[in-house]
Amino acid sequence: MVSNEEVSSIIDAYPRDRRYALAVMQDMQRTFNYVPENGLIATAEHLDCSVAQLYSMATFYKALSLKPKGKHIIKVCDGTACHLRGANNLVTGVKRELGIVPGEVTADGEFSLELVNCLGSCALAPVLVIDGVYHNKVKIDAIPSILKEHATPVVTQ
Amino acid sequence: MTPTPDMTKILVCCGTGCIANGSLKVARAIRDEIVAQGVAATLDLLVEETGCSGMCEGGPIVRILPADIMYYKVRERGAKDIVASLGGDPLKRLLFKDARGERVTAQSENPFYAAQVKIALRNVGLIDPLSIDEYVARGGYEGLKRALAMTPDEIITEVERSGVRGKGGAGFPTGRKWRTAAGYDNYPKYIVCNGDEGDPGAFMDGSTLEGDPHGVIEGMVIGALAIQAEEGVFYIRDEYALARDHVQRAIEAAERAGILGDDILGSGKRMKLSIVRGGGAFVCGESTALMASIEGRVGEPRAKYIRSAERGLFNQPTVLNNVETLATIPYILKEGADAFASVGTETSKGTKVFAMVGKVKHTGLVEVPMGTTLRTLIYDIGGGIIDDRPFKAVQTGGPSGGCIPDSLLDLPVDFDTLKKYGAMMGSGGMIVMDDYNCMVEVARYYVNFLCEESCGKCTPCREGLRQMHAILTDICEGRGEQGDVELLERIGATMQDASLCALGKSAANPVLSTIKYFRNEYEAHIDERRCPAGVCVKLTEFTIDPEACTGCGACLRACPTEAISGAVKETHVIDSEKCIVCGSCREVCRFNAVVTEGRRA
Amino acid sequence: MSTAKTLSLTIDGTPCTCESGEYLYDVAKRNGILIPVLCRSDAFEDHRACCRVCIVEVEIKGRRKVVTACVYPVEQECAVYTNSEKIVEERAIVLALLAKRAPESAEIVAMARYYKAPELDRLVELDGGRCILCGRCVQACESLGTGAISTINRGTEKEVSTPYHNPSLACVGCLSCANVCPTGAIPFIQAPSTRSIWGRDFEVLSCERCGAPMGTREEIAYAAKKAGMETPVICDACRKHEIADSMMGTYRLV
Repeated sequence: MVSNEEVSSIIDAYPRDRRYALAVMQDMQRTFNYVPENGLIATAEHLDCSVAQLYSMATFYKALSLKPKGKHIIKVCDGTACHLRGANNLVTGVKRELGIVPGEVTADGEFSLELVNCLGSCALAPVLVIDGVYHNKVKIDAIPSILKEHATPVVTQ
Repeated sequence: MTPTPDMTKILVCCGTGCIANGSLKVARAIRDEIVAQGVAATLDLLVEETGCSGMCEGGPIVRILPADIMYYKVRERGAKDIVASLGGDPLKRLLFKDARGERVTAQSENPFYAAQVKIALRNVGLIDPLSIDEYVARGGYEGLKRALAMTPDEIITEVERSGVRGKGGAGFPTGRKWRTAAGYDNYPKYIVCNGDEGDPGAFMDGSTLEGDPHGVIEGMVIGALAIQAEEGVFYIRDEYALARDHVQRAIEAAERAGILGDDILGSGKRMKLSIVRGGGAFVCGESTALMASIEGRVGEPRAKYIRSAERGLFNQPTVLNNVETLATIPYILKEGADAFASVGTETSKGTKVFAMVGKVKHTGLVEVPMGTTLRTLIYDIGGGIIDDRPFKAVQTGGPSGGCIPDSLLDLPVDFDTLKKYGAMMGSGGMIVMDDYNCMVEVARYYVNFLCEESCGKCTPCREGLRQMHAILTDICEGRGEQGDVELLERIGATMQDASLCALGKSAANPVLSTIKYFRNEYEAHIDERRCPAGVCVKLTEFTIDPEACTGCGACLRACPTEAISGAVKETHVIDSEKCIVCGSCREVCRFNAVVTEGRRA
Repeated sequence: MSTAKTLSLTIDGTPCTCESGEYLYDVAKRNGILIPVLCRSDAFEDHRACCRVCIVEVEIKGRRKVVTACVYPVEQECAVYTNSEKIVEERAIVLALLAKRAPESAEIVAMARYYKAPELDRLVELDGGRCILCGRCVQACESLGTGAISTINRGTEKEVSTPYHNPSLACVGCLSCANVCPTGAIPFIQAPSTRSIWGRDFEVLSCERCGAPMGTREEIAYAAKKAGMETPVICDACRKHEIADSMMGTYRLV
């Protein structure tokens, strides 16, 4: 859960103008990994608009999510170039390793998988990005080691 | 450090593609080597991280000036030799090998660059995008100075005379757009830069913003002077973090230099620029949806019978230009309308930037004169098709565009010609496909993309796409019916006329153009339950031709599902139960032994 | 800017006149030509132009284009065709698509039949569909109600809902949304003293004097607050009577 104080610290940085609705929610997304319900309600109050209008935006824009995402975000690019060079295989590969399909989070909250439209690295397709790190020309058999690279290290006693 | 003309510059390409290939590490390694080898004592040296130098396929790219040596696929371990060779002979092994197998040294000797003419990308890949001094040293802000000495009407006339047309896709004359907005006496007015490049497979605008942010800022200020706006907004795609960062820092530098703010270069004119981060919606590339998004609303387009130039952002007169168009403006003002108009064709002046990707050998970012043929683009610049497979189609204009077949490869690429053939130039995405790409599946891919990316406001787009998607999925999975193609055409025609915005009006293009030029592939799927390209999973079965198989084991190693078995030097076999039809085996087989057969669905 | 000037045009051959900037739909209606609409309502000044049923062809200087009559401002002389071959076909396809989306809506199915929309059995029907996403309910809620509902999601997943699909806290149960819905897609239950909509149950208050139902408690309080008045306990009709009575009393004293 996100506290109301944490929410306020984001909202209060913005003037009370509807034009900042998207920016406020994007800040929350970045900070909390999602847009929490209390954040939506407080933003509506601050910007003098309805919760429904903000909810409408939060479900419209792909950059926003209403459920927490995983600690590490795997983005499989399904832009045209990547699609033609086998983006589907990468989805299959991730599914086989982690058991999640696009839009899902692993049970331990470690990874979430997203199928996204073009990450601007078409020349090096297919591309898989984890936490902002690009992996180029990924082959399906390379996926286990890539995932290992990004997973939170397990601390053994 | 301010560069001097005769100093040795080492330019390390740090566009998104090269960064993904590790170019930042290469730059660091080169800097370390310079210190380690102590060359700075004898050479006046500057190492710079630049924007995209174009040939992403060959990245990371390192270029040395003024000697003009271009190295490709440079790794960290190459840094030592590169630094050691400075001032001497170039390192042969890192040079580009042309089609005849010859190593070439200079950029201009590489056929990828030879046919290009750079106007919008004039600085991209050549300067440190964060250095305003370098921008100025290359003639930056000269166009603005000239504009400041002109009246708004004179600026607009100059832009009109240049013939430049909006490069975001529609090709509307930029000068005329500015003149309309200038004609309204309703203040404040706004200028907006559309940097919401959403075409999957295109990265022209992102690269321009990353590699030359001052070029776009200068275009914005000139446009603002022309229409008498004092505020401008960059709307930049959510995914483009690097581009946003560079534009933000360039805005700050321009403010410090007195180019933005309350007194532009002492002229008494004002200009304020800010960035709005896109929300992640393809439809926000549409002008009215983009403005709704800036206003803090859902990105739904509105009917455009009243134009944005009259009532746009916050209901005020607004000009919206694409990144590439704005990057071109300073050139027009500095070099003059005639210089610009001397390039290109009668009705499409100047140049166009393309992101050429897909099954072409040299993928990357290119800028060519309008009217260049697709053949020149794909074969001369792009080096032809990977593995020299047969060319099948090129998709221009992304989800709003169309597929162009082999028979039209000699078409000049400009705004008007492609439209005539059911495609569009679009913003510059160019996706090359070979015979291993299924055109029905490609159409389904775009329709699926649009089902998610349509705003869902109007009936023909939303419901038409939903139905098209269901039909195309059926065809791809072997449930196509007689009459499906005609039904797709019928729905598509209504979508083109009756949809609310440009996205909806063009949403059927990928379907209609693939039907127009590749009807036989649709028929094969429907009549014979066969996918000729071997892509549609339910209609394809891979087998190994025992005559051709040498038992090399390449396919066995490449198979992700361990579906292939066979001893060394013996014919391999594919277990169709385990096979997921991913095509990995076919890709690695050097003997064309992996063949596809139609599978009854 | 420019003052309105009078223009002449023809609609399906009938000569008409209008003021520059008037919406084509209104001009046609005034001249007795009814163009079908779904998302347009007289209750609102702005029209969403999203159902696309009101498409017509406009010919200006020999060039024809398809426009939506509800928001197309007539700004020059033109010839309008509301039943050209193109329009008949495309309107039929739009209605056929809507009929597949809202097969449970008798209104849409009847309209599709009337405009000779093809059956197109090949197309997928939406199970239980009634809503055509015209957006009138959202418009009504934003302008007359409290902004309790909105469109959510986008593309083919778009729908109308309250936030989180939960019973709406903002809703006052005024029924504005249900009243403007052209297809009866918003379910509600109206009993003598209760009302249910959007997952919430409301108490309906009755006039303390005559006993007539006045609306939900929240609705009455909201309307009063908006008007800057105290929350009334009697209905409008009784209040008028009360004022009249007290005025009578005053006159009698004089």
